[in-house]
Amino acid sequence: MKWFINSMLGFWILLLTISLGAAAVVYEIWLKGHV
Amino acid sequence: MFDFAIAGVQAPIFLLALVGLTVGIVGGFIGVGGGYMVTPALIVFGFPGYMASGIDMTHICGKGLVSTVRHRQLGNIDWTLALSMIAGTMLGVELGVRLLVYFKHLGISGVVLLVTSVALMFTLFLYTQIETNRAHKKMEEMEKEGKEVGRELQTSNLPKIFQSIPLAPIVRCRTARVIVSMWVIVLVGMVTGVLAGFLGVGGGFIRVPALVYVVGASTHIAVGTDLVEIVVSGAYGALRHSIEGNVDMMAVIFMIVGAMFGAQVGSIATSYVRGPAIRYILSYSLILATLGAALRLIYVLTGQNVHWLSLAAVMLTLGEMIFLCLFISSLVWFAVRRRGGKWVPDWVGPLVI
Repeated sequence: MKWFINSMLGFWILLLTISLGAAAVVYEIWLKGHV
Repeated sequence: MFDFAIAGVQAPIFLLALVGLTVGIVGGFIGVGGGYMVTPALIVFGFPGYMASGIDMTHICGKGLVSTVRHRQLGNIDWTLALSMIAGTMLGVELGVRLLVYFKHLGISGVVLLVTSVALMFTLFLYTQIETNRAHKKMEEMEKEGKEVGRELQTSNLPKIFQSIPLAPIVRCRTARVIVSMWVIVLVGMVTGVLAGFLGVGGGFIRVPALVYVVGASTHIAVGTDLVEIVVSGAYGALRHSIEGNVDMMAVIFMIVGAMFGAQVGSIATSYVRGPAIRYILSYSLILATLGAALRLIYVLTGQNVHWLSLAAVMLTLGEMIFLCLFISSLVWFAVRRRGGKWVPDWVGPLVI
């Protein structure tokens, strides 16, 4: 887990995972019918 | 859900404000309008393509103005550079639009646009990423040796080459601390204008690296100066789109509410970081936008039958906005911790002030 904070690549991957997860939630709740 | 009567669309208000907020933060931080993120997002919300472009341009104008005022207060705008570039940019945009019309006549504009976008953004990403990595490592070494690290460090030799062109008139840009031929600045404006006009975007993501790597301005100055260009091109685009009836002002207002706040946050955030941090965020933005455009290109080339490609492009567009905001917020948080003498990861040290 420390690698995700101590390494820039790890931090990048951690934030990207969180962001894509949040995007999936937004899509599921509000946008599914539109696309 | 709000009923946007002019666009004939129902869309959640808070999502529009959220898109405005996130793109405002990113735009204020890396000096882009964010059209390559906003337009696809608005299309996903159900707005027709022409309306998405109109709303995007109008909100960019307002948001750009807020960011410009804030960057002016921070001393990040070189007016000589900005005003010299405007003429070239305008001419370039006109040429770019004509080039686009030519390809439209040939019937291949869609694919050409996507291929050009992918190639250009990937090249810019690669160069920015490699150079910034080098600068980052150099700054880490300097910190370890106990040397003082300034606000800016860039390792590219390109500015020296362009600054040595002895073509009169030679301009002294006082704020950027650059002495360069006026023709280089005009040419930078024109080339980036052609690409912007051809791709139908504001062109900030091309102009900021060009100002850093060709003219030799510091990243903070490049961001502030580019925002002046964005206000001018955004105002012109907003006027054109309004005349054509492509703007739903209600949607613009909801986006502006978020964008005004975001633009202030993004602009102020630049005062917490060093130049390479801004260039890192710019390069991340470029690679994610490249991936999104590549997915759309494959979707078009496969006859628009593989629907998961379109869905993945949507996810990437939304995810990119959230990712960039999280990264910027993290850098500011780390900067505040470092100022307070608290622990931050080693890689963060040289990036924040």
